[in-house]
Amino acid sequence: MRHLILALVLTLGVQSAPLAAQALNRDVPPTPGPTPTIHIPTWTSTTLANGAQLVVSQKHNLPLVAVAIRFVGGQANFEPADKVGVANFTAQMLSEGTTTKTADQLSEAQQMLGTQIFSGVGEEDGTIGFTSLTSSFEPALALAADMLLHSTFPEEALERIRGRTLVGLQQARDRPNSIAANVFAKVLYGDAHPYGRVMTEASVHAIMRDDIVAFHDAYYQPGRAVITVTGDVEPAAVKAALEQAFAAWPAGGARPAWQYPPVPAPKPTTIYLVDKPHSAQSVFAIGLPGPARDTPDYYALDVMNTLLGGLFQSRLNHNIREVKGYSYGVRSRFAFGHGPGAFQAGGGIVTGKTDSALIEFMKEFRGVEGAVPFTDDEMQQGKQALIQSLPRRFASVNGISAAIADIYTGGLPQSYYQDFPAKINAVTREDMVRVAKQYIDLGHLNIVIVGDRAVVEGPLTATGIAPIKLLDVDGNPVP
Amino acid sequence: MWTNLKTGLLSALAVALAAPALAQAPPKAGGAINIPFEHYTLPNGLNVILSVDRTIPQAAVDVWYHVGSKNEAPGRTGFAHMFEHVMFTGSGHVPYGMHDRLTEGVGGNNNGSTTNDRTNYYENVPSNYVESALWLESDRMGFLLDKLDEDKFVAQRDIVQNERRQGVDNQPYGRAFEILTAATLPAADPYSWPVVGYMTDLQHATVDDVKQFFRLYYAPSNATIAIVGDIDPAQVKQWVTEYFGDLPKGAPITRPTVPAVTLSAEKRLVFEDRVQVPRLYMAWPTVGENSDDAYALNALADILSGSRTARLTKALVYDQQSATNIGAFNDANELAGSFLVLITPRPGHTLGELEASTDSIIDRLKRDGPTADEMRRTAAGLEFGFVAALQSNLGRANILLSGAVFHNDPAYYQTQYGKLKAVTAADVQRVANKYLGAGRAVLSIVPQGKIDLASKPDQSTKVTVSPDGGHYLMGGN
Repeated sequence: MRHLILALVLTLGVQSAPLAAQALNRDVPPTPGPTPTIHIPTWTSTTLANGAQLVVSQKHNLPLVAVAIRFVGGQANFEPADKVGVANFTAQMLSEGTTTKTADQLSEAQQMLGTQIFSGVGEEDGTIGFTSLTSSFEPALALAADMLLHSTFPEEALERIRGRTLVGLQQARDRPNSIAANVFAKVLYGDAHPYGRVMTEASVHAIMRDDIVAFHDAYYQPGRAVITVTGDVEPAAVKAALEQAFAAWPAGGARPAWQYPPVPAPKPTTIYLVDKPHSAQSVFAIGLPGPARDTPDYYALDVMNTLLGGLFQSRLNHNIREVKGYSYGVRSRFAFGHGPGAFQAGGGIVTGKTDSALIEFMKEFRGVEGAVPFTDDEMQQGKQALIQSLPRRFASVNGISAAIADIYTGGLPQSYYQDFPAKINAVTREDMVRVAKQYIDLGHLNIVIVGDRAVVEGPLTATGIAPIKLLDVDGNPVP
Repeated sequence: MWTNLKTGLLSALAVALAAPALAQAPPKAGGAINIPFEHYTLPNGLNVILSVDRTIPQAAVDVWYHVGSKNEAPGRTGFAHMFEHVMFTGSGHVPYGMHDRLTEGVGGNNNGSTTNDRTNYYENVPSNYVESALWLESDRMGFLLDKLDEDKFVAQRDIVQNERRQGVDNQPYGRAFEILTAATLPAADPYSWPVVGYMTDLQHATVDDVKQFFRLYYAPSNATIAIVGDIDPAQVKQWVTEYFGDLPKGAPITRPTVPAVTLSAEKRLVFEDRVQVPRLYMAWPTVGENSDDAYALNALADILSGSRTARLTKALVYDQQSATNIGAFNDANELAGSFLVLITPRPGHTLGELEASTDSIIDRLKRDGPTADEMRRTAAGLEFGFVAALQSNLGRANILLSGAVFHNDPAYYQTQYGKLKAVTAADVQRVANKYLGAGRAVLSIVPQGKIDLASKPDQSTKVTVSPDGGHYLMGGN
């Protein structure tokens, strides 16, 4: 009932509004108004007594705060090659009890604060943090600090985590996407490069409690920590709270040097086929090691890849999904690590069109390398898509927190977001073709396909695109 | 009191109207959990919601049509979702591709989604492209059929089949929920088939089906549009009138009725899948989000598996260490729902053992009810969850739209929040006893050739996919 009343009042309001002078012409898209100004969040940076960097960004529209203690460097830099998984295990073990609280007490305390403290270590950084109501900020911070500094790493918990992880590894062997990701990493980087290492049954069995304690002590150091606190907070109060929470955290640690062994020599383009009998789809992962994030070609690659496989109407998705109907979606990306992160294109392809889809992937690669010139309209779309989507990164406290942390962990300039539009706009068509040719080397592509060998091997051979090597689900050659 | 009424959009009338709903929520929540909005209806029946928030210079335009897979018929499943795809192939005045050109091509994005109950379409755009988004949405609401293209329809039909392959057929355990739903509901029940549809039904869809479906369900009188974000409300109202005002009102829609379902006995099933690790699933028919019992069922799910100290998680994953993970969910649709439990065993533990442990833990909860501590903990996270969801334009739009479409009240989230906060231990104990009874489906998913790994294999009926891939064969069903 109440909305009927409201509707009447507002309908009158609509009628009194000035109407367009001429009849609506639906054939012409409306003319957009002036482009809105992008507001980049601001932040303050300071250093805690123990050397950890503290960055605070204020956002007061909701009573929320995001706290992320990010460590620069990750598995690739701190994990022993024969103990892949120890970083991940250690991060999980931070929830397993401290000198003063059992694991259940830690969990119940978080529930009562309406928050969940997460911790994880990725390839080149690790994080412990939480998002909460502002009112829970200090007690949640105290819990996170307790977990970081006073965890006890009980043996019993290690065995439980090991057992669950082993089941997870077994289940990953049933998932074609997981198989493709692991085999792709192994084919590109081999076992000697950290980017090629994956957790295995053997590495999981090798992890002992001493390894966890050693990793914890070596890794979680304030000298490589960037703490971002974003939201409904004041910088001075945040600093005081953090100094108190981390008073017992001794100085130490430094950022990694990012020195990696060389990647294996490029191999002539090859199809690596992993048999998954009776698959409804073939999962593709096509690519090769790429440039690091600090390449001067970053912006040209960003625009080029947006048009190749970033947008919904990118060349790959438009052709292979929308025109041909072979897939629910295909895309491409550059990983851009501190080392040679991969270029990777792929997606799930209906089994019967595996060969046809590969032909189209290759055609689109040749297209961006000059065979099909980028149109002015494509160029404009690729650039606007990147520039005008920036504000959505800044809508939530977590988004802002991640955007700021990326600057500090990626070694980017403070003015990175302010400079971003001009750098993107400066990219030329020639730049894009040049970087496509340079970084998508058609003579040395690794084409990983996980699918039903009985159906797809013959047609793939018939395409003549590349020889086929058979691999098992772990990326080892099939005799 | 903290408030986010900073935009001046909210009329005094709307404030007055919001007050009674606010009063139902605890005073602490009244400040943060609030979305200022205006709501009105055009003469053709289109519901319009406006909400200003200038956090970022963008806006979300989000249209919900009150139609989903429950409006389909057996044999024609998956059509509502396939139709959603057709809505992206261009319309009378909008050539194919223009939609993406004016969204992702200018820094925005767009998508659609289909559930059992509703279909939505949205654009996130820089604020100077709001009029474009209204032009796009009005054109496909009014003129989709003018340029319906058979080839594009066929391509989308293929794409939807790929979506099914990717999400269901090619995923380990991917068919579990389809089997459970088919097992717990009668074949004529509108919630008994999957939203994505069965493969054979997808192949049968025709252009004529598209036309009929559009005329029935895609009229303004079956739609609600929300424009949320960095907008000038007076200008947006004028555009809404211009672009949508002359679209004809639709015919009245007969909504499906969904009788309450109870199973007279337990149905035991086993399905062989391309998996190495078996898994146990249980499903009980429950109620929709239109029933107050749904709130207590949500709390029940949280108390069983929502945290490390939740009853099933603590017992099976941590204390007995017989399971690698466990999940309990209350899946509430508009008019009916189901309560689901799924458990993955650790090596050396059988599905039968896990079923017995789970039953005894649920029985104890039914007998004694949850503790006061458990109730406090499950309520403690509610406020954060609500506030966090308010951060994005699209998040706020969907909250307002859900209330408007299913409860004729965009502010219904306030009522929901109050009801969630008000759930008592006695409520949880009552719904556990009322719904988690003997009448349920118990499904074991086992590796191929390993039926003996099922829980009570000799009492379980083997499920197979029909030879045409169209549905599931379950013995005598």
